[in-house]
Amino acid sequence: MCRSNCLIHSILVLLILGCASDYKMVQPTQSAVDCVDKIIPLEFKTGWYDAGVDVMGKHLSGLVLIKNMPDSSIRVVFTNEAGVKFFDFEFRADNTFRVHQVIEQLNRKQVIATLQKDFALILGIPFRIHGIGPFTNGDELFFGATEKDETAYFITTKDCASLRRLEWRAGSKRMVSAQIEGSYPNPDLLTIEHHTFNMQLTLRRIPKE
Amino acid sequence: MCKGIFIKRIVGVVLLMHGVMTGYGQYAGYKPVDNLPVFRNQFAEESAKVMTIASDFTQEKMLVALTEKITSHGKFWYKRSNKVRIEYQRPFSYLMVINGDKLTVRDDQKQSQVNVKSNKLFQQINKIMINCVQGTIFESADFTSRAFENEKRYLLEMTPVSKTLKNFFQTIVLVVEKSDYTVVSIEMNEPGGDKTTITFDNKVLNGNVPEQLFNP
Repeated sequence: MCRSNCLIHSILVLLILGCASDYKMVQPTQSAVDCVDKIIPLEFKTGWYDAGVDVMGKHLSGLVLIKNMPDSSIRVVFTNEAGVKFFDFEFRADNTFRVHQVIEQLNRKQVIATLQKDFALILGIPFRIHGIGPFTNGDELFFGATEKDETAYFITTKDCASLRRLEWRAGSKRMVSAQIEGSYPNPDLLTIEHHTFNMQLTLRRIPKE
Repeated sequence: MCKGIFIKRIVGVVLLMHGVMTGYGQYAGYKPVDNLPVFRNQFAEESAKVMTIASDFTQEKMLVALTEKITSHGKFWYKRSNKVRIEYQRPFSYLMVINGDKLTVRDDQKQSQVNVKSNKLFQQINKIMINCVQGTIFESADFTSRAFENEKRYLLEMTPVSKTLKNFFQTIVLVVEKSDYTVVSIEMNEPGGDKTTITFDNKVLNGNVPEQLFNP
């Protein structure tokens, strides 16, 4: 009896650890629960960002506005420096996504899906649902939220003093990582890097005049 | 019978009001230019005298639906006949230089060069900028235009003809100084209601503008 229970338990642990790749599950202590409450990246602050995108050797720059709207939706608008709008996305409070505007050159299903996932990660959209973890890996704590076949993680220092980065992973494979400089939800610099193809997006906060 | 005349009058008044609202009435303080051909010639003639311009500029991007605005500042240089340098200095740095068919852009991370001729959109934007500064925008087949004036300034409203430009701009409104025919401001109105306004200050006409500014 005990053997079969132990086996089931072991399989469950293995499954959880499998999802979390090579991370080690830690006991959900009060400090870990407090850490989630304290640091979960859910409320990105409204602001303008100086943006640069490098895709497959091509470089594009412009300005990104991330704005919290009164109806709890979040708008992400990308314009070039002279003011011409490239796209205008809306992440709604009910977790749906709407494209308000996109220029012809970017109006491809895959391009929009990639941008949607990148911005969803830095806005903490996946973490609105119940998460998994915490896991430890070296001196870091990982908290995850699974969406379809990928898991979004937010990663903190072991003492939960600060948010280090955000990641999308498919199984053990790291797909996207977002490095954070400065304090979330008002970071000075975000560097979003794709690990399965050559794309990097940097967002540098523009201080208010 | 009386009812029919009454309705016609009402319709007439509504149409008249509509004409006022959508016509020159939308630009407060301006009336249509009396003699358009004379103005066009004068504008082209006076602008032709401008060989160089150096100016500060302030750009305001308004996202109307989001009630957000970002203001940037920089320097503008022009040298006849097709050299333009726009340097954004605050709150971000960005450089755009047009030198003939070459367009160079530089941001914090990278400098890149595009042959304007290889891209139809760049070609059109290049043409708009040069035409605005040189006073030849009226001759452009890319726009239909209307002109208004008040005591001190002219206002030119340009509506794009091509589908490509219509995707980006509903109208471009140029305000021009009557005293020297230089551009005071350019307002680019987007189809969704957002707009970008660039205002020029501290203009120096026909001063020395070094050639190397256009070879970054």
